[in-house]
Amino acid sequence: MTAIVEYTLRACLPLRRLIGLGLLMVAALLFGLVGRAVEDSPAGAFATVANSGLFGLVLPLAGLVVGDAVLGAEVRKGTFHFTWLSPVARWRITVGRWIAGTGVIAVTIAPAFLVAGLIAGTRQGGWAAAAGGALGGSAYVAVLMAVGATFRRAAAVSLALVFLGERLLGTVLSGVAQWSPQWEGAAVFTAWSDGVSSRDGIPTGAGAVIRLVLITALGLALTTWRLRKLKLAGPGD
Amino acid sequence: MGGGAQRAGVAERVGSPSHFSERSLQASECDGVTLDPALVADATVEVADLSVWYGPKVALTELTCSFGPGVSGLLGPNGAGKTTLMRAIAGLLPPNSGTVRVEGADPREVLEVHRHLSLVPEDEAVPDSLTARQFVAYVARLHGVGKDAVDDALDTVDLRSVAERRVGGFSKGMRQRVKVAGALVVDPRILILDEPLNGADPVQRASLITLFRRLGEEGRTVIVSSHVLHEVERLADRVIVVVQGRLAAAGSHHAIRDTMADRPQRFLVRTTKPRELAAALVELDAVAAVAVDGASITVSSSTARDLAVALPATARRLGARLLEVRPLDDSLESLFRELVQR
Repeated sequence: MTAIVEYTLRACLPLRRLIGLGLLMVAALLFGLVGRAVEDSPAGAFATVANSGLFGLVLPLAGLVVGDAVLGAEVRKGTFHFTWLSPVARWRITVGRWIAGTGVIAVTIAPAFLVAGLIAGTRQGGWAAAAGGALGGSAYVAVLMAVGATFRRAAAVSLALVFLGERLLGTVLSGVAQWSPQWEGAAVFTAWSDGVSSRDGIPTGAGAVIRLVLITALGLALTTWRLRKLKLAGPGD
Repeated sequence: MGGGAQRAGVAERVGSPSHFSERSLQASECDGVTLDPALVADATVEVADLSVWYGPKVALTELTCSFGPGVSGLLGPNGAGKTTLMRAIAGLLPPNSGTVRVEGADPREVLEVHRHLSLVPEDEAVPDSLTARQFVAYVARLHGVGKDAVDDALDTVDLRSVAERRVGGFSKGMRQRVKVAGALVVDPRILILDEPLNGADPVQRASLITLFRRLGEEGRTVIVSSHVLHEVERLADRVIVVVQGRLAAAGSHHAIRDTMADRPQRFLVRTTKPRELAAALVELDAVAAVAVDGASITVSSSTARDLAVALPATARRLGARLLEVRPLDDSLESLFRELVQR
């Protein structure tokens, strides 16, 4: 497992993706600054920009960058063969890569959300956003790994899932939102922030955490199952 | 599969489309039973009625063959299905029908198969950001192999001195050798090499060919595909020819040629009386065509054995001295070209 985590961190996150993550961190800080400009209490202002900017944009994009990198991109490039052609149990490969992806989110996006909260003037909101970001990001990594293991055009499917499925349908349908990393991540944030109301119709607080754990577990199970069925035809086929 | 797949008879012709009907050749014997030439008695890799397709495109059609210890060459033009066959053997692709067994087990279901099976894919399968050592060490750790094996594998492919450099900065030949090192580090009993000599310079090619032959002589099952046919001749004791997803021929390249008696073979004949001999030869049933070029005659014959008897007799009758007689296309390359064209 350690070998897989180390390999994923070394091999699956090329400079281009790290730059993308860096830009998303900068965007998160800018949203913190925007929060200062909103005429509301610091917590309320930060909640306004965090719900739409951090959880509606930065977190899904970070999930796309990292979730695709740790599996889907490797499958497409043909570099996944050497991992697959080993006697390592498929669930270990899945979990190893998820740990690596979640680790990257935890040391990039979550701290950026925390600092954004501090910039906006709400320490509590910052911590809540960091927690929601870490949990939501971890669920994103699992879900988008499953997409990467299932679809050859994983990047396009992931984009559609995140912005059409989650954002568009999730806005109007609570049934969709309660299975969405971004909505449930935001629900963790709002529940743990002071004086901020949560969205109705979806689990919040501890319920949101449980929901995100469930989404993560389902994503990992689906990824493992797909890895067993994976067809590694190679770029030329 | 194994014993059940033994078929009586020699040089079986396969009931496939006519242009690929020559499944010829050097039949092997086991306990007095003659095997299909596409099969070996001590098989470690068994492929039975394998069909693989990608959507509407059929890559392999009901292909049956087996591989045992030693080096086997896999030949075919681009798109013939060689890579698909190799990937199916490694377990990377599931059969749409038929079976693949590696040491008796399904490589897609039994993970332990991968402990002693290595594939060197043709495509660029090594992440650029890793050093050669990091990559080989990663493969070793996945297989539970010690660190000593990493240095040994890098030494074997002569990459130890550049082991700390990133693969992204390597030439194509060096990248190929990194992949070979990654395959060797697990001490494979079965080694599948898809165009492993691509990009290697002549010295490296010679060195890799020697290495693969040695691995075969050690009793490992080595399956090599290549489009550089003369190298396969140097590499492989046994050849499997795949054309358009079907088994076109199997055996040694000489045996394949011998049994393809009904297709024209060309011979160069140098003689003291080329015009007279050419005029006499063209009258023979064994000769399909004759071309004279100075002191040389190019003779096409679809019954080479008859020509071998008639040519000296005709020359003797004319008082012509035969200075040289040799086949013009006794290479695997010409054989392969012909199998493709048939």
